Amino acid sequence: MSESVKEISFHTTALNGINVHIMPTAKFKTTTIVTMIEQELSEETVTKTALLAMVMKRATARFPETKQLREHLDFLYGAIFDVDVVKKGERQILQIYMEVLNEKYLSQENALLESAIRFVGDVLSRPYLEGNAFAEKYVAQEKETLRKRIESLIDDKMKYANQRVTEEMCQGEPFALLAQGRTKDLAGISGESLYAHFQELMSHSPIDIFVVGDVEQKEVEAAIGKFVQLDRKDVKQIGPTKAKKQVAEERVVIDRLEVNQAKLNIGCRTQISYADEDYPALLVYNGVLGGFPHSKLFVNVREKASLAYYAVSRLESHKGIMMMMSGIDVKNFDRAVTIIKEQLESMKQGNVGQEELEQTKATLSNQFRELLDSARMMIDFAYNGVISGRKRHLEELLAQINGITVEDLKRVAAQVAIDTIYLLRDKKGDA
Amino acid sequence: MQTTVFEQLNETVYEEKLPNGLAVYLVPKQGFSKTYAVFTTRYGSIDSHFRLKNGEEVHVPDGIAHFLEHKMFEKKDMDVMHEFSRNGASCNAFTSFNRTAYLFSCTENLDRNLNLLLDYVQEPYFTEASVEKEKGIIGQEITMYDDNPDWKVYMNLLKAMYQKFPINIEIAGTIESISHITKDTLYQCYETFYHPANMVLLVVGSFDPETVMKWVRDNQAAKEFPPTPVIERLFPQEPSAVAKERIEFQLPVGLPKCLIGYKEKADGLTGEALLKRDLTTKLVLDIAFGTSSSLYQKWYNEGLITESFDFDYSGEKEYGYSIMGGDTPDPDKLAAQIKEGIRQLQQAGINQEDFERAKRKKIGLFLRSLNSVEFIANQFTSYKFNGNELFSVVPTLESITREDVEARMKEHFVPEQMAVSIVRSASPQE
Repeated sequence: MSESVKEISFHTTALNGINVHIMPTAKFKTTTIVTMIEQELSEETVTKTALLAMVMKRATARFPETKQLREHLDFLYGAIFDVDVVKKGERQILQIYMEVLNEKYLSQENALLESAIRFVGDVLSRPYLEGNAFAEKYVAQEKETLRKRIESLIDDKMKYANQRVTEEMCQGEPFALLAQGRTKDLAGISGESLYAHFQELMSHSPIDIFVVGDVEQKEVEAAIGKFVQLDRKDVKQIGPTKAKKQVAEERVVIDRLEVNQAKLNIGCRTQISYADEDYPALLVYNGVLGGFPHSKLFVNVREKASLAYYAVSRLESHKGIMMMMSGIDVKNFDRAVTIIKEQLESMKQGNVGQEELEQTKATLSNQFRELLDSARMMIDFAYNGVISGRKRHLEELLAQINGITVEDLKRVAAQVAIDTIYLLRDKKGDA
Repeated sequence: MQTTVFEQLNETVYEEKLPNGLAVYLVPKQGFSKTYAVFTTRYGSIDSHFRLKNGEEVHVPDGIAHFLEHKMFEKKDMDVMHEFSRNGASCNAFTSFNRTAYLFSCTENLDRNLNLLLDYVQEPYFTEASVEKEKGIIGQEITMYDDNPDWKVYMNLLKAMYQKFPINIEIAGTIESISHITKDTLYQCYETFYHPANMVLLVVGSFDPETVMKWVRDNQAAKEFPPTPVIERLFPQEPSAVAKERIEFQLPVGLPKCLIGYKEKADGLTGEALLKRDLTTKLVLDIAFGTSSSLYQKWYNEGLITESFDFDYSGEKEYGYSIMGGDTPDPDKLAAQIKEGIRQLQQAGINQEDFERAKRKKIGLFLRSLNSVEFIANQFTSYKFNGNELFSVVPTLESITREDVEARMKEHFVPEQMAVSIVRSASPQE
């Protein structure tokens, strides 16, 4: 049995102003090609970029009709193609995702890898245009789709509560924005202005292409050189996300909606982000507090008090925000908040047993080693290094996690402060 | 230990039936870091009416299979989840209509985690106090699902389609139904459905198969089990007509949600015939409603559907149905258009090019899914329970002809077996 790889290691080369990162590995049956286009998260461009993601999916110069484009992808043995926007700290990343079957699993001769890279090149450099603009019919339809997508955030109460508390916490900060943008901006966007924005991104934004699969590095580089031709110049440097912000006072925000279960989300500032020395300590801190079924939140809110089915904490590593989340009966609001605050206090006191520390290190390390089995997650890990300016190595991070002590956790805890307590509750009863 | 090599897929399956009846399957994955193990019993929410060993017929409270799954984690002198954490594993469990699965994934300490999995599922420990305490937790889980419009629209569709078959009841039950669960009813279900002969253990990932099989053999040989029981499930006869043509429900949503379902006539298919029907129906759905279909493109361009539009088919021995739909501004129009689109397609037939392309897509996506040890672990067991082999999907797909697809399209989509489920906001302001 072949040795499994222990490190996430890409070979990086600069090709025509684009950073190309390749990781050859035989363990996957497909080749994954992800293009990341980076820009600041800002009110001016957030909606345009989100709309662009949707319009880019509709057509290319070679496939002017969406039906033709989808037929082509299906013909390539069900190639996966998606364009989306994600928020990483105060950056909005436009992601072009492509995944195609490795030819060696087919009996007939098929140049699938080359076809896939050609297709990515089509999307990035040969869009379907009418004049100097994206086709009005696609722009108009996708505005509607985007509007519906933003309005449907309310369907998933957990996500909705998470966005609401983020908006409340980060008023005046770019991080308050939803990656999909704002419905009010849609009317002001035209096929022309959208194409100008596209050109701006393709010329000046940092672009990284990641390729994972059973591939030859030279072959991939040659294909990218051939098919991805962009007019790259004056590539921007995007500034760091602002993770340090002292909390002036703890706020309580309550929203009302027709819900059966109340969602309690408590947003904290940690003052620590991905590039910081204390980041491994923050990972362990979050793990002990609410990352796992042995963690303080799960044990105390769910197992001991039976107040909830889920009680967890999650990190946004670039912005340094930690979100504690639970679904409760609204009558237990005060009790749940008290128990959660007790856990934070207990972390401050360094009240962390050897057992829970070891459990957290073991499960956290397991989570990181599991990244190695997913092309997409390895790409995400490597990209966090690119945008934070601090490249982390998996083995090194695991060693750092392993060395964390209770003293380190106390140092982290001293900086963690509750910013906003948010409750999404029903419309019955008193305020 | 028996070995089967699937050359085209570059996968190998090792299997053995242990003396106590437990079926064990091992699928090593070259170069992977993690191992994923699933211990599954053929027991789910639909198994609510059955006969005990003494011949007595029992109806158990709705939601008990799921409740039992939660309570398996409780032990007299240890905490199962904490134990997995100590070994660096992440553990979980889930209950579906027809099975309950206990699982973990790990990158270290496979021996300890595997023994822990086998031991905790094979040593029940229920007390009245812990059963009562769990009702609060599961109550919140049920309430969470009550607020989930995607789950609601799906469950309501099953309620609309099925008159009697217990797939129309919530997997977790209701707060009322679980209030009747006691430690005795839990033991009754456990003893009926958790015998090793009713279970499958599957391990996928990074390990040596000989070594792992020995661990499992040793673990099982050290335990005693009663003789293999005969499980007699008492299912009602489901008529072919639907229970209700339409169910509408209110929850706050951005856009209304609409699902359309076609119920399969219960014909008891298993094995190769079931697999072929399953794959053929999925091809029909993809040709009719996939993103490259004329219908999808037309509806999307008109704004009748969004990217959330999706479809699936589920075919088991006792039940089966296809589902299609998603978010739409006009649910009734979408339902009518789907019905009409199917009628026209049934008349016009399918062209060879669309058929070949759909098949290529299906083969590619299947091979892609084998990148995921979770997918293999979960699907492999379902296929086994139906008498099939996950790794035989490609040859079966290749054997399907355009004529099969056309015949299936005519057979499956019967207007009397169709139902509609809608979820929308109470008022437009919401």
